[in-house]
Amino acid sequence: MVMAERQVVRVRGVWKVFGERAEEALQAIQQDNLQKGDVLERFGAVVAVRDVTFAVERGEIFCIMGLSGSGKSTLVRHINRLIQPTHGQILIDGQDIGALSDEELRALRAKQIGMVFQNMALLPHRSVRDNIAFALELRNTDPFTRHQLANKLLETVGLQGYGDSMPSKLSGGMQQRVGLARALAADPGILLMDEPFSALDPLIRRGLQDEFLALSRTMSKTTVFITHDLDEAMRMGSRIGIMRDGEMVQIGTPEDIIIHPKDDYVADFVQGLSRLKLVFAHRIMERPETYDKVHGNLADVDTWPQAHPKADLNSLVSLIIGQQCPIAIRAEGKLAGVVTKDALLKGIQGKSS
Amino acid sequence: MPPENSDSLTSFKEFAGHRGDYYGRTFLRIQQARLPRLHLNTSALLGGFLWASLRGNWPLFWIGFAADMAAAVNFALIHKYELAAVQAAADGKDFLVQRYDDWSDAHLQAALILFFAGRLLLGWLADRLYYHHYARWRINRSLPSGQAIRRLGIGMLAVLFIAPLTIYRASQFAPDQRSCIKLARTVQDGGQVPLRDRFDCWTISEFPTLVWLERPPQYTFPRNDDGTRSIVVKESSSDRPVNLNNWLSEHIDQGIDYMKAFYGWLFDGVTHWVRVLLNAVEAVFMGTPWVVTSLLIIMAAAKLAGSRMGLFTAAVLLYLALFGFWQTAMSTISLTVAATVICVVAGLPLGIWVAKSKVGAAMVIPMLDIMQTIPSFVYLLPAVAFFSVGKPPGILATVIFAMPPMVRLTALGIQHVPASTKEAALAFGASPRQLLLKVELPLALPSVMAGVNQVVMLSLSMVVIAAIIGAGGMGFIVVDALARTQVGRGILAGIGIALIAMMIDRVVQKVNRM
Ligand SMILES: Nc1ncnc2c1ncn2[C@@H]1O[C@H](COP(=O)(O)OP(=O)(O)OP(=O)(O)O)[C@@H](O)[C@H]1O
Ligand SMILES: [Mg+2]
Repeated sequence: MVMAERQVVRVRGVWKVFGERAEEALQAIQQDNLQKGDVLERFGAVVAVRDVTFAVERGEIFCIMGLSGSGKSTLVRHINRLIQPTHGQILIDGQDIGALSDEELRALRAKQIGMVFQNMALLPHRSVRDNIAFALELRNTDPFTRHQLANKLLETVGLQGYGDSMPSKLSGGMQQRVGLARALAADPGILLMDEPFSALDPLIRRGLQDEFLALSRTMSKTTVFITHDLDEAMRMGSRIGIMRDGEMVQIGTPEDIIIHPKDDYVADFVQGLSRLKLVFAHRIMERPETYDKVHGNLADVDTWPQAHPKADLNSLVSLIIGQQCPIAIRAEGKLAGVVTKDALLKGIQGKSS
Repeated sequence: MPPENSDSLTSFKEFAGHRGDYYGRTFLRIQQARLPRLHLNTSALLGGFLWASLRGNWPLFWIGFAADMAAAVNFALIHKYELAAVQAAADGKDFLVQRYDDWSDAHLQAALILFFAGRLLLGWLADRLYYHHYARWRINRSLPSGQAIRRLGIGMLAVLFIAPLTIYRASQFAPDQRSCIKLARTVQDGGQVPLRDRFDCWTISEFPTLVWLERPPQYTFPRNDDGTRSIVVKESSSDRPVNLNNWLSEHIDQGIDYMKAFYGWLFDGVTHWVRVLLNAVEAVFMGTPWVVTSLLIIMAAAKLAGSRMGLFTAAVLLYLALFGFWQTAMSTISLTVAATVICVVAGLPLGIWVAKSKVGAAMVIPMLDIMQTIPSFVYLLPAVAFFSVGKPPGILATVIFAMPPMVRLTALGIQHVPASTKEAALAFGASPRQLLLKVELPLALPSVMAGVNQVVMLSLSMVVIAAIIGAGGMGFIVVDALARTQVGRGILAGIGIALIAMMIDRVVQKVNRM
């Protein structure tokens, strides 16, 4: 039961096959292990999500990352059931949402799950304020409350005074803030963000990412964040799921993925990535004994620069510049390991020592 | 000089077969764009369609055959009118003799012109089209090439099938349909009819009546003392068979009678409510003094569409008033408004249904297609059949005529709401009803308004036509003027209608654009 509480969103063995003969196609796939191309040819069906299982814990930002067409949007739309799974189960707070009635599902969407879209999808005929308060309006909240709340949210996302503008009058970045405010309006516990920043230029994107990170820290929302940009995934995600052709290839922390890519596909992905801020000292340090056997100068350890096992490579580089000696890694006062210059350089390059 | 022994020349000769030298030379000239402008193919000129069939070029065959046929028909007509002239002379009708002689002269000229011009045309076209034939043959060797007697046979068969009857038809006065029906009856009753008359009726008159059906019995639906109705069947007074047309139209009539007898309350109810609506509208436009109405209309136009439209509206109203059309014009406008109201109230939900449901689209769209292909005044028939004559049936016919764009444009507007916008609304927990009212309809509004605009204009045009079934208004003046050939009055009323249409159109469009 404790597990269920911690895991707010659980996706269990979800399949989605688009097409008239979806059920049939699914059976054939499970029996004969067909590939995407075969399914399209034989059934005219598209396999968008292929046996995906994962869980999102309370308060974390779970990034789903994959190339265009890998099924990210399809997958995330299962969580608020905008799309019905062909097979499999989605649980929100331990409750199977496939079993909900229409009305319960609507209440769930309005109160518990907020969503932000890649193309903003604001309602063009309504003012910014009415857009933000849309979820409340659907639940028949009175206009006064809506008005107050919208104003508060406009302030949160830094758009004070734009309440009466029409969405078309705002820039892309501002529209996406409105989208975010709209998702936050009902104070939902879960946020689904489908490539919210992809359509924005890099500078604005960076700014919004930071703002969102700050916001999510103070508001402690459970977030599923879709992106096709690995840098963004690494910045935002406490954990990352990498998708390919509808399959969840690997799930792990940014560091996990960068150090132990599960296959060539993932390795290719993370290859060009700067590891300076994503890999930490404990990954590249040698055990003190091993070090001593080779170099034999462990006795001087107190004169060496010191760092924590959770220090990233970037800070280690700063420590070691201009030094001849290695870095001592200490946890709670005890010597945990040693990082030599060679090990650090290899670590940055991505070759394991 | 052209290279006489080039590759193309060999291929030309291979294609042409007989008289290869001539065609080789000609085609070479065509390819070099050196063919004299007036070049004629003598064998085609003399041989006509026979030449074309020998060569297997069917387009040329039909061109030549059509020209020769046309000439032949004119020759036959000469014969026909000469015979008629003889007959007329025997009857002593000199003016007819003169006329028939004139006609046969005219046909003689036509025949000669057609024959010679046709042959010249064929001779001129022959090598040019035959060259195209060659070009296609190069790509597809299974096309006919060379000369073949067998193809002459095919051509002759076509000629044999078409020519004799056509020429015979041209040389005879065809019997009219009535006498043919009489003849058919006589045959059925076992009477004797000359073979030639029978032949004429079957081949050169109206398409012969093939199906004879028993005359349907007569149904009546008298009212009983307690108000119910009973069905009384009476054998038809005559036992003569009828043709398909009479048989079916009698059935339709009886079906309508039946509906009116047993579902009269329904039609009466509809008529009643249409009349209630019309009365309400008329109270506004006709029940108020012209001072008030005109002022209100002008002010509304100015407010909605700007002061220039206000001025134009004032001018239109002035025209109507000066020429004594005020009441009639207001009656026409009332009819239009009433019809528009019904169209919008019925068309909007229908449009939503079409947009939302596959069944709805499958049922309604074909009906709309039919409604839009039928000429407008055909709608008057069902309206009269079920609702008799007067204003309510006029409005109903108008509604049927004017509704399709309302349904279509409403559906179109809703279908064009972006899927992503709808998805966003659903993601925040919108119910289907909320989706429709808060997202789809507001976004479809421009399209819906365009529909209303069209409905208004179509209603106005149909309301005028509905004057034929007694809807009154400006249309009645035009219909009446037509019947009495009072052109002037008709023209004045027509201008009035056009002005009203322009006024309404401009105002509605301006409103839409805002
Ligand atoms: N409604 C649909 N009907 C049929 N196929 C669909 C449908 N929606 C998505 N697909 C297919 O499913 C696959 C995954 O699509 P999806 O939109 O989930 O990809 P994505 O990872 O979000 O890509 P992007 O980064 O471009 O948004 C694609 O091959 C797409 O063609
Ligand atoms: Mg997507």
